[in-house]
Amino acid sequence: MTLVRTHDLAGGYRPGTDAITGVSFAAEPGEVIAILGPNGGGKSTLFRALLGELPHRRGTVELAGRPAYVPQTERARLDFPVSALDVALMGAYGRTPFYRRLDRTPGLEALARVGLEAQAGERFGELSGGQRQRVLIARALVQDAQVLLLDEPLSGVDAPSAASIEALFEELRGEGRALLVATHDVRQARAWQRVLCLHGRQIAFGVPGCLTPAVLQATYGGELVVLPDGTSAIAVEHHEH
Amino acid sequence: MSAFSAPYMQRALVEILLLAVLAGALGAWIVLRRLAFFTHSVGTAAFPGLVVASAWGIAPQLAALGAALGFAGARERLARDGDEDAATGILLVGALALGALLASDVYRSGAGVDRLLFGTLIGLSDTDLLLTALAAVAALGAGAALRRAWLARAFDPDGVRALGVPVAWPERVLLAAVAAAVIVALAAVGALLVSVVLVVPAATVRLLARDLRSLQLGTGALAAVEGVGALWLADTVNVSPGPAMAVVSGAVFAAVAVVSR
Repeated sequence: MTLVRTHDLAGGYRPGTDAITGVSFAAEPGEVIAILGPNGGGKSTLFRALLGELPHRRGTVELAGRPAYVPQTERARLDFPVSALDVALMGAYGRTPFYRRLDRTPGLEALARVGLEAQAGERFGELSGGQRQRVLIARALVQDAQVLLLDEPLSGVDAPSAASIEALFEELRGEGRALLVATHDVRQARAWQRVLCLHGRQIAFGVPGCLTPAVLQATYGGELVVLPDGTSAIAVEHHEH
Repeated sequence: MSAFSAPYMQRALVEILLLAVLAGALGAWIVLRRLAFFTHSVGTAAFPGLVVASAWGIAPQLAALGAALGFAGARERLARDGDEDAATGILLVGALALGALLASDVYRSGAGVDRLLFGTLIGLSDTDLLLTALAAVAALGAGAALRRAWLARAFDPDGVRALGVPVAWPERVLLAAVAAAVIVALAAVGALLVSVVLVVPAATVRLLARDLRSLQLGTGALAAVEGVGALWLADTVNVSPGPAMAVVSGAVFAAVAVVSR
């Protein structure tokens, strides 16, 4: 059963101004799909569209249930008076009526899966960036969604957290879930099952072998340096002055 | 305590304790949702309504309610596609200018403007107390029912919808609850000092609180202690209670900010 399917998906935040066009892809159970593209290339817009939050959307989207969304940890409120367990349990908010007490067990189990059971009572903002990212993934696990949308989950996290997150991806894949991972890391994307390249429009979708220098150049434009052997590429951050 | 033996002082004491309940129920959300400017602005937005009510002899809360709910609705609509602070600021300037024009050039309200701006904690009626009690009960009820929606929205505005948590109507309820709290506080602390009750105690406790429950309970307790202390101070040294509350709560905030560094 296909978990995500889009056909000719397009749309944006204002009428008449598309941030993405022509996005057609499918995610099967057990696939990790890298969403590659430059800043402003449409990765976050695609996630908004899949979450049903894009104000102006055309084309079709089919989803197996509500996807879980894992934001970038840099955008989280670090001064917030909540513990790691509080954040993980937010994943159960949508299915628990306000008058019913939250069951803590799924939250504790999800934190254990991301290796943070011992930090359950610690304040979210006092955890490391990698630990915070794992807590946000634990929140998605509590949601128990078949599709997870992860916005640059490995960006800026410490090495142990990155290893833990990548191992967790494999576990979730084994459970038949589909993961869509926005990333800038071309080398990492090659290790996953499929890649979707965006630069306002869909540049390519397929197995990692489709990441030819021409595709990467079209995806990143002037922000990319493709090394001479064609096997590696470096995305160059664009700075505005 | 002889300072609180007079009926008007007892009413002021009850009002302060009721406002402390409101501060505990809503203050935490005001600081967590960064609605301090909005809260201050609702009070200021009510100013033209208060001027009209004072001139026409109608219930000030009713006029303030109309002005404040209109402000909350306009702000929610303007902020939907833009910057919340900018929308609030634009409406605030308009309301303050309109109130000043009405007071000075239309109704010539004179010295009554001071009372509208800074409140009269020792001149409250039973109706004032009843309205504050009703607002406190409503805020506690809304907080109990919508705690999770408010928390998820405040913590992660981008991801809250993906959690399956409703966003729009709980947000409207929060803004309406804050607007109602401001309106019932107007009689006691005036249009310009509502933040002293609804924002400053929560901002102070937030410097120390590690979880939401302690933030809410601590805010209610601190607002009560500061209010009672300010009322005693005002009676003792014969100054206006509203500004006394502002001075006391400001000093406590500064002290806690220094100590908690």
